[in-house]
Amino acid sequence: MFKNKIQIENTVRKLRFNNDEMTQQQLAKEVGVSRQTIVAIEKYKYTPSLDLAFKIALAFDREIQEVFFINQ
Amino acid sequence: MNIKIRNTFAEITGASLAMIWMWLNLTEASLMTIQAVSKVLAQGIGGSIILIIALHIIFNILSSIITGQYEEDIDDERDKIFELYALQVSSAIFGISIVATLILLGWFNLTIISGLIAITFAGFIASILSLLLKIYLYR
Repeated sequence: MFKNKIQIENTVRKLRFNNDEMTQQQLAKEVGVSRQTIVAIEKYKYTPSLDLAFKIALAFDREIQEVFFINQ
Repeated sequence: MNIKIRNTFAEITGASLAMIWMWLNLTEASLMTIQAVSKVLAQGIGGSIILIIALHIIFNILSSIITGQYEEDIDDERDKIFELYALQVSSAIFGISIVATLILLGWFNLTIISGLIAITFAGFIASILSLLLKIYLYR
């Protein structure tokens, strides 16, 4: 059933704008990664580790499934 | 151009310049003693390390002057993954090159100097190709 590669999408960009228009740099600093990594996550070019995904969700005070989800 | 690509460019430039310098100093390698060849190779490897550090500093200073802001170089999980991919590529190329060199040395009855030069250059080429892969991944 899950043999094919799954596309994990996210709402990071939307959440940033809803969060006082937080910049990518501010989010990157809060979760301890580079701004380029946030850019790659927003463009779905990079799927973060579970650890980083939780950190991002916590930064927005959301559950992880509200931030990262599978597009079926 | 972000700091990761800039630093990778500095490494490619440093390694390429060192390779060119070694190549120019080894044009008469067949007439040189093994000590003289080893000296050139050791100087080339050492020089490339110093050159890469110097280019890192120069590129970052120039970037700060042009953009007017300081960009912090943070290493995160994405960098570690890309580093791992690059390491796999360079190890594979270097490994294959060493085996090929050893086979060719025996096959064509080449001198040990040729092997020494071939292995050193294979290391540099493997490093440059892995750095190009990193630029592709960071683009």
